Amino acid sequence: MLHIAQIFSYGILNGALYGLVALGLSLIYGVMNLLMVAHGALIMLAAYTTFWAFFYTRIDPFLFLFIVTPLFFIIGWILFKILYQWLMKYPEGEKIRNSLLISFGLLLIFSNLAILFWTADERAVTTLYTGKVIQLWGVRLPLIGIGGLLLAIIVIIALHLFLTKTYFGKAIRAVSLDHEAAILMGINVNKVCLVAFSIGFALAAIPGVLTSLHVFNPAISFDLTNKALIVLILAGFGSIKGVLLGGILLGAIEAAGVYLVGTPYREVFGLILFVIILMFRPQGLAGKKV
Amino acid sequence: MKEKFLKEILILFGIAIILAILPIFLKKGYIINLIILICLYTALSQSWNILGGFTGQISLGHSTFFGIAALVFRYLWASGIPPYLALLGSSLSSLILASIIGFPSFKLKGHYFAIGTLALSMIAIITVQNLLPGVSFSPSEFLSKYSLIPIYYMAIVVGFIAVLVVIALSHSKLGLALVCIRDDEDSSESIGINIFKYKIISMTISTLIAGLAGGLFSYYVASYYYYVPFDLGWSFDPVLISFIGGAGTVVGPIIGSICFVILKELFAISLGQMNVLIFGIVFIFIVLFLPKGIIGVAKLSLIQKRTSVISKEA
Repeated sequence: MLHIAQIFSYGILNGALYGLVALGLSLIYGVMNLLMVAHGALIMLAAYTTFWAFFYTRIDPFLFLFIVTPLFFIIGWILFKILYQWLMKYPEGEKIRNSLLISFGLLLIFSNLAILFWTADERAVTTLYTGKVIQLWGVRLPLIGIGGLLLAIIVIIALHLFLTKTYFGKAIRAVSLDHEAAILMGINVNKVCLVAFSIGFALAAIPGVLTSLHVFNPAISFDLTNKALIVLILAGFGSIKGVLLGGILLGAIEAAGVYLVGTPYREVFGLILFVIILMFRPQGLAGKKV
Repeated sequence: MKEKFLKEILILFGIAIILAILPIFLKKGYIINLIILICLYTALSQSWNILGGFTGQISLGHSTFFGIAALVFRYLWASGIPPYLALLGSSLSSLILASIIGFPSFKLKGHYFAIGTLALSMIAIITVQNLLPGVSFSPSEFLSKYSLIPIYYMAIVVGFIAVLVVIALSHSKLGLALVCIRDDEDSSESIGINIFKYKIISMTISTLIAGLAGGLFSYYVASYYYYVPFDLGWSFDPVLISFIGGAGTVVGPIIGSICFVILKELFAISLGQMNVLIFGIVFIFIVLFLPKGIIGVAKLSLIQKRTSVISKEA
């Protein structure tokens, strides 16, 4: 029994990270209908940034959140200006297709650049609390995992408050509901898209810092993208609130897979579920019928 | 129309014959190696081109069909079946796999198809990594008198078939229907095109050719880990190649493959894949600004030249 509880609690802590991973992707898809497959590569880059910053300064990696997040906000701003603003004029279907292709190119570029610069070696930030655990009713919970769960809850609540309580957040939601009506209401849609896109990038930095505390290498970007897509479909496309639950659900499913079949097939369970849901409920498990 | 078709077929035959007599004069294995690689990538990207370029279904899962064909080819070949029959078998095996996992994926539309097929190819590589962890070798009788020439001829045959099929497709009613589906699914359905049927035909042809390419890979590479032909690179490279050369054209993927293989050779010693890096950057700009690829640019400048000549004469 303890055995099962241990596997599942581990899965849920992992799942919180998956939720964070999918958050930026979900925001960008929900607001602009851009499918940003390169999200995993951004997280990988953020992880490397944290790794090197830690390597040279030896300051606690969680503190780097305050540097890496704004940095990625700026990167998102620049990339939108260079690449994505050209896409905004396309009709819906073509926009999604082209954004998929472009971000797919970015994914390949970023992961190959990372291999060129930093080699394919596995790295990890090792802090004083790496590997420390808390015992809770006999279940061992890693400190970093708990930190990730707390961070995920804080970030999602903050984003939710931003989207529902602030003026700009309401504008973002208006744009995600209906582009044209938002224009008619006097919302500067281009600016909203630019800021939402940059926030999506900034949201990639947070799971990046968490990832740097685990073992990572450039190839992780494909893995993370694929986790983010699965969470996205579990939560419903474009749903912010569902993302944390979707992530935890995926973590639990993987844990069930590990328990029933074994560690090597951990990822396969999520993927099979993904394909099945895509076939029968393409709007997502919790999504509304389009 | 008919005349153009015959002309293209004749050119293709000419190139194939030139390539076939080339080894008599060329004693260097290096060029032969390059041509084999170019044929391999041409076949694979033409296969993607039929589904992605003509029918507009962007598949990120071609490595699955490529990989299964490589596995089946190696198995048939090792059990004593002559290579060309094994090639046929491997091609059919990827069709069988497609009918199990590929056809249902047409329930997915647009970008869902792309991410769905990506998920399928990830499932495939993880499964193969776990089920077959070892290394696959060519049969020892082949390795003892190893020579590139039979591989070279098989490469030409595979490349020839792939290009021939695409030429025939681009001049047929079937090809027109596929292009119609690419341009607008709803209106092509309304004028009486059975979308599902044509998508399945296109996928059938595409996977048969991907299977040929997989068989060729298995014939060419003497030893590899079982999961190598399932590597996601085999899904991604044809997308880059076709788009850069010109998706939905006959010559585009060939030009793309030549550029790709040459770049790969130039940067062969550097860490990481410089060719994928360069191709990725070019790919983004092609998608954004030149949706017709290199071929589109060439055609455009040719037309401009002609019209400028005409206007001068006038």
